[in-house]
Amino acid sequence: MKMTKRLAMIIDEEICWGCDTCELACKQENNPPDGSRWIKVKTKGVQRVDGQLRLTFLPARCLQCSKPPCKEACPVKAIHQRTDGIVLVDPDACIGCKACLEACPFGVMQFNTDKGVAEKCHLCYHRIDRGERPACVDKCIGRCIHFGEVKELLTQWADRRWQFGKE
Amino acid sequence: MDILQTMNEKVVRSHCRICHGGCGVLVHVKDGKVVRIEGDPQSPISHGTLCPKGIATIQLAYHPDRLVYPLKRKGAKGEGKWERISWDEAYDLLTAKINEYKRQYGAESIVLGYGTGRDNEAFIYRFANLIGTPNVLTAGHMCYGPRVATSIITCGNLPVCDYEGNPRCVMVWGNNAIVSNPDEYKGVYLSDALAKGAKLIVVDPRFTKLADRSNLWLQLRPGTDVALAMGILQVIIEEELYDKEFVQNWVYGWKEFVVRVKEYTLKGVSEITWVPEEKIREAARLFATTKPACIQWGVAIEQSINCVDNNRILIALAAITGNLDVPGGMVFYVPPPTMNASQFGAHKLLPHEQRKKRLGGDVFRLADAFAILNPRFVWDAILTEKPYPVKMVFLISTNPVLTRANASMVYEALKKVHFLAVSDFFLTPTAELADLVLPTATWLEMDYVAEFWKRHGYVLARQKVIQVGECKSDHEMLNELGNRVGPKEYWWPTIHGALNAILAPSGLTFEEFVKKGYLRGRMEYRKYVQKGFSTPTGKVELYSTRLKEWGYDPLPQFREPPESPVSRPDLFKEYPYILITGMRPTAFFHSEHRQIPWLRELLPEPFVEIHPETAEREGIKEGDWVTIESARGRCLQRAKLTLGIDPRVIGAQHAWWFPEKIFPEHGWRDSNINLLTDNNPATCDPAMGATNLRVLLCRISPKREG
Repeated sequence: MKMTKRLAMIIDEEICWGCDTCELACKQENNPPDGSRWIKVKTKGVQRVDGQLRLTFLPARCLQCSKPPCKEACPVKAIHQRTDGIVLVDPDACIGCKACLEACPFGVMQFNTDKGVAEKCHLCYHRIDRGERPACVDKCIGRCIHFGEVKELLTQWADRRWQFGKE
Repeated sequence: MDILQTMNEKVVRSHCRICHGGCGVLVHVKDGKVVRIEGDPQSPISHGTLCPKGIATIQLAYHPDRLVYPLKRKGAKGEGKWERISWDEAYDLLTAKINEYKRQYGAESIVLGYGTGRDNEAFIYRFANLIGTPNVLTAGHMCYGPRVATSIITCGNLPVCDYEGNPRCVMVWGNNAIVSNPDEYKGVYLSDALAKGAKLIVVDPRFTKLADRSNLWLQLRPGTDVALAMGILQVIIEEELYDKEFVQNWVYGWKEFVVRVKEYTLKGVSEITWVPEEKIREAARLFATTKPACIQWGVAIEQSINCVDNNRILIALAAITGNLDVPGGMVFYVPPPTMNASQFGAHKLLPHEQRKKRLGGDVFRLADAFAILNPRFVWDAILTEKPYPVKMVFLISTNPVLTRANASMVYEALKKVHFLAVSDFFLTPTAELADLVLPTATWLEMDYVAEFWKRHGYVLARQKVIQVGECKSDHEMLNELGNRVGPKEYWWPTIHGALNAILAPSGLTFEEFVKKGYLRGRMEYRKYVQKGFSTPTGKVELYSTRLKEWGYDPLPQFREPPESPVSRPDLFKEYPYILITGMRPTAFFHSEHRQIPWLRELLPEPFVEIHPETAEREGIKEGDWVTIESARGRCLQRAKLTLGIDPRVIGAQHAWWFPEKIFPEHGWRDSNINLLTDNNPATCDPAMGATNLRVLLCRISPKREG
């Protein structure tokens, strides 16, 4: 499949404060049932790294893989990828077999127990389609969630590193 | 109303108040219901950012357990039997009770109370002053109040980090400003300052994400902050890193101050604080030589016997390094032209003879000067009727059974008091003890001139978006009650009359104000050059003439925490760990929000931080329920093993109750850390009466089976 203008979200884990706002922004927008999170701030807690204490948060969510294993694993072809790269689960086609949950290498595919279907972060495609950004992006106080076209994002990423004066 | 129309939804611009508030929000409403809360990108305070609690306000507003009409007690006190009544009946009952107790026991027998406040503080004070009681029970003795009171007597006003002025060094002192709300500002300011490359010094017994981001983390022994600051000052003075011109022209008592600082040797400070001498030196040099610099402080240092002196010594640090009221330093914001909270509070209308009756006023003189009292004196007045009986308590947005020290005593007192009225969102463990419960409004359900008590130079428009049940804002309720209880001439026919009165100096009506969204005072720096500092000497009083007048030490000093390995070696044998309390989770604001599904999911149960070595010694594993016990009481929290805390220190959470557990107790005794804390006045700050909630001695053990 030829893709034009591939969209993505990247998160600067180094500066994520672990404030959990993205989780709630997503809950409000996409309303997954209790216990399910399409984006979840994970942490291993305080670690000792090279003799120094470190605390890092990782907001885990679907990475919209270029070759999605979940799509491959789905026996009923309920998962498809848009030309902009967004991976979608069709709730009407999904039979709830959870093969995609098994297949996801990042463990971010969620199961909606109310509806009996798999679901996950789709970059708020409904917002994107009306010209807005994913719900979690602009509410982040650390401004560590970046959304856009992949190539532009990668350029901005380099700039950010420089601007923030990281070693 | 400032309404933007987009498709079928209307969007109302307002300001959040799920914590201490101030974030700009766009509330999306569809068919009369709030469907979404977005950050307002145009807000100069939050720039479109939000927090989990702000977003979850939808679940708070429409919660099925919410109080939606007034309730009157039917069975015995605390039995959980209620009868629905009308607002008129509720007002009649309140009016009758107030008049009865006032006639029989004097107005001072009625105590008004709030917790950390839901932007209703000025209305509560006004109501209290107008009925003639000097007794308003707030958190002001140990939260924010001390910062304001101490700043006013030391340098005339509260100095606040000027993040917009681009500080090059921020010293975050006992504050997790990213997760908590440091009153004047939101975490986004600090986050942005760091993104712009400001150096960061973090003083905290816990390794927070701020500590992770810092250039220097000072992990001190809990409660020894003043000693650490003395050490930093020692280096600054010894190496002459202070602003000599400022000190010469604008500091009162420099000579005496230097003599006091020199009583603390760096070696001694290092032994007291556990912080290595080299790190103290490094922090002093970094802070004093990086300009401009500011100190981001908060409540943690205030809930201590060292409260006032801790605030004073941090002001001293900012002042002598030339960082007061300069761009990027610690500044005095200029408020917009509105009535201020103190004027609205009508303090001048409280008769002098009533003011003299303030509970504990003769003990905690600084607190008394700011109309603040220490809660212990209220509980004593209920339980012992000394110095006089307290017969009625009217609590508005507070849950003291969870949030006040010595919870057992609080519970007994509230159970005993003749008449208890509570205004809140839910039947909390405190409300369950009431005779009358009033359903209050969330920030989505009120018009208000928001945050006009804060010292950040703004007032913000909060707009009513929805009506839930018969809920009323506390402001509206007090205005209506004030009209009945009197004196009527000091209240308004409707709440909008009050809002217009607050706004009058600006020349705006509430409707015009809403269109503007907010007002901001015109900022000027270095105002002292023209006007001096607003203190008795016109200077920054490192030697406090006010405190001297009241009979306190005019110079800051370090007091060993009342319960520590040093002050109580006897107790330390049985309770061999230092307990710190009150770490802020992202999900909750104090005792609130445990019933909100989206938030409770973030943190289903309380946890206590324990170093892995300590856990191993005590036979505790990750996730175990742990009994935490002090000389006064015990509670249970789950073990969270972390390298981010010293093995000699245990870090517990506060204000936990379980709305889902059986009423009327709701499990308030299960995990309540305030069953362990002390409220003995001798352990409180001598001038402010700040309760020591933060540093105790404890022991821990795995929960016994059964």
